[in-house]
Amino acid sequence: MTTKQAGMGLLGSLAVGVLGAALLGRGRAAPPVRQRLLDILALPPPVARQVKRLHAPRLGDTPRGPLQRWLGIPPSPAIGRAARVRAARRLNRSAGLLAGSVLLDSALEHYRGSFRNPAMYTPLGVSALSLAASLHGKGDRHSGRHPFRSAIYAAAAVTGILGTGFHLYNIMRRPGGFAWQNLFYGAPLGAPMAISLAGLMGSAAEHVRDDRPGMAPRIFGLPAGRMLAAMSGAGILGTVGEAGLLHFRGAYHNPAMFLPVTMPPAASALLLNTALAPARRNRWITRWWLRLTALLGFAGVGFHAYGVQRNMGGWRNWSQNLLNGPPLPAPPSFTGLALAGLAALDLLEDEPDA
Amino acid sequence: MSDDPRFTPRAKDGRAPDVFRPGAWVPMRQHSDDDEVDFVIVGSGAGGGTLACKLAEHGFSVVALDAGPYWRPLEDFASDEAEQSKLYWTDDRISTGENPLQLGSNNSGKAVGGSTVHFAMVSLRFRPEWFKSRTMLGYGFDWPLDWREMWHYYREVEDALKIAGPITYPWGPPRPRYPYRAHPLNAAAMALARGCEAMGISWTETPIATLSAPRGLAHPCVYRGFCVTGCSTNAKQSALVTWIPRAIAAGAEIRDLAMVGRVETGPDGLATGVHYHREGRWRFQKARNVVVAGYAIETPRLLLNSANARYPDGLANSSGLVGKYLTVQANQAAWGKTEAEVRSYKAPPSLAITEHWNYDDDKDFFGGYCYMSQGPLPQLWANTQLNAHGLWGEPLMSEMQDYNHQVGLKIVGEMMPQERNGVTLAEDKDQYGLPIPRVSYSWCDNDKALIAHSLGFMEKALQAAGAKDIWRQEDDTCHLNGGARMGDDPRSSVVDADCRSWDIRNLWICDGSVFPTVGGVNPSLTIQAIACRTGDRIRQMAASGAL
Repeated sequence: MTTKQAGMGLLGSLAVGVLGAALLGRGRAAPPVRQRLLDILALPPPVARQVKRLHAPRLGDTPRGPLQRWLGIPPSPAIGRAARVRAARRLNRSAGLLAGSVLLDSALEHYRGSFRNPAMYTPLGVSALSLAASLHGKGDRHSGRHPFRSAIYAAAAVTGILGTGFHLYNIMRRPGGFAWQNLFYGAPLGAPMAISLAGLMGSAAEHVRDDRPGMAPRIFGLPAGRMLAAMSGAGILGTVGEAGLLHFRGAYHNPAMFLPVTMPPAASALLLNTALAPARRNRWITRWWLRLTALLGFAGVGFHAYGVQRNMGGWRNWSQNLLNGPPLPAPPSFTGLALAGLAALDLLEDEPDA
Repeated sequence: MSDDPRFTPRAKDGRAPDVFRPGAWVPMRQHSDDDEVDFVIVGSGAGGGTLACKLAEHGFSVVALDAGPYWRPLEDFASDEAEQSKLYWTDDRISTGENPLQLGSNNSGKAVGGSTVHFAMVSLRFRPEWFKSRTMLGYGFDWPLDWREMWHYYREVEDALKIAGPITYPWGPPRPRYPYRAHPLNAAAMALARGCEAMGISWTETPIATLSAPRGLAHPCVYRGFCVTGCSTNAKQSALVTWIPRAIAAGAEIRDLAMVGRVETGPDGLATGVHYHREGRWRFQKARNVVVAGYAIETPRLLLNSANARYPDGLANSSGLVGKYLTVQANQAAWGKTEAEVRSYKAPPSLAITEHWNYDDDKDFFGGYCYMSQGPLPQLWANTQLNAHGLWGEPLMSEMQDYNHQVGLKIVGEMMPQERNGVTLAEDKDQYGLPIPRVSYSWCDNDKALIAHSLGFMEKALQAAGAKDIWRQEDDTCHLNGGARMGDDPRSSVVDADCRSWDIRNLWICDGSVFPTVGGVNPSLTIQAIACRTGDRIRQMAASGAL
């Protein structure tokens, strides 16, 4: 039974993953498949497509290995305007994924809660705006921060903090207060922070994009790459907490439910190490682990779709089971955060001490 | 020929209904009546169904007979109280005594899976002291079982049923984490919680045998609320969808619509098999061992009705205790109305519980009780109003307008075992031509003191939770236990700790009738734990040649 479940979940996940990848890769005039794949996986562009470098490769760059060469990863170039914009757009994409995940998830869950409190509309509006800002940023090839996008992202970051307050209030006023029952079934304590993370990632995108000649990109006064690695690492940990709590509620009845509490924590540890350890160019383990984590976020949608099927009436009874079963929009939060981590790696590989 | 499972057996021709798929079947091993099987089990509920599974998995050949039909819940159960009364044992019985029992809905079942098919799923462990209540608490009788061993078997049952329970249980010695997490509380359960918090006592989510996450082909609970009239989604982990499919997979045979009328004994005084009625005729199944698991009325009835020249007082009755010390549980309630809608019929009825008065010994009566939130279905509620207040016509109609605002608390309370309460045979005959049971029941002063205490306390708790128009429902009882109790001494008990009768070594009794005392919690988990233990003990005895 368990093998069959896992198998079906995996098939579904692959299907959804491919679909998600196709959606993500859209918007360019049909580049070759390999390039598109590199783009999806947030790899640096192959040399042929690369925008003109502002600086020549520096002395001491590590020679490329065969795999690196095949993938077209250049020897770590110095940071330039184009690289900043590229990193910023990747961050916009991460923020957009997170915001999209929050938009769908909060719409579903707050609809389930009948929008009893008018404040429950807030995350829908803010995440929709963040999604729009992110799409705009993703398409924006200019350097320099955009005031509207910055403002929206700041609002998103604040919304998450306020939302956490609301959710905590909801939990505390239920009988039993801060108890498992209310953590399981009251307003989810960790959920609002996802919109804050979208806001933070978006703000980071604007910071990185902000081009001041001769300056390395900085976020809150700290090197942008390291800061981003730390933020996405912490964000992944928080999301692991949320997934861990809700999968514990489901008693880990399917072994696949252990995946989001085992793989992403490792990604988080690698990112935190990236943030703190001495500068290093080649972090291929971190990179691959983050890619796997990004894929897991999509795979999770497939697993959750299978979870919906396992409720009474399955997908035929979708209008109830979408609300009742595991939340479809939740797992891509991991994808958004892993992509942010990859953007951080790019920044760091472009300029090791960024 | 009708295909109504109430009239035509389904489990035959080498197959049994697949309870997880509409219209489907699973292969089933079949024995002829002349096969001398290792065990024939009378009844397939919490006791018999569980034991059939354990014995089959231990490699014994097993035939389990049940008088009731073999349902497929997904296709046979309706969201209709009247229709679902088909799950109750409503054969003729005479109920007498000072406080005659109302028999049927909440204390009997006639189906493969027994009354677990419509039980309220509340799955509680006994308080350890209750296994030695005479020695440690000064009332009732000691059990021949050690609570630590029972703790082990409770765990086995909880895991087999994937009980959904709280992370930490506030009372008693530590227990392992329940396999599945507790369900969300409904408004009725929240009212219990608020009342408890106002009264300064602990409460928790009720450990309950309905799934809070998927399990195999069974879906998680959809909070439909028709639990006590039969779960149509298979979320309820009844014997019908847990032990019995396992038993069949391990080679046991289940025979539905098979009413056992007599246990036969041979010249050596040992049981040789059972006479049963199926498909319009009496048949005889040979067996090396007979297990009676018909619950606290049908078990004594069958033993008494199997009297013969060698055993003139009935089988296993040298102590004279077969049919004696029937002990039910008090089931009184306090009801009120709240300003806000409660819709207590949503979700399983008893999602929150307090066992405070089971573990507090500072009371002026023996025994204890728990109380739980309630969720009466509309027809039951109308009946309650009719019986309690005599409402009918317009007054009943207007009272029912407040149905969505009703909130209630109900106890499962420990009554004292009394020799005068019990089961005897009447002159009248039932549809099989068997003498019907006469069930006599009277409350003692201790029972009344416990009930008064509980009603007073629950009224205050309801008040504290904000309910108005509070009233008491005083006359209800539930679960039947005792009637063939276990013990250490053949003179004062019917079976030993292994559920083996003292008189006939290949006759066993495995159901709630072996309880010497009943405690203040629902008995199903304990019945199943005893059955698991009995199954393991039989394997050990068989291995050492002691069978």
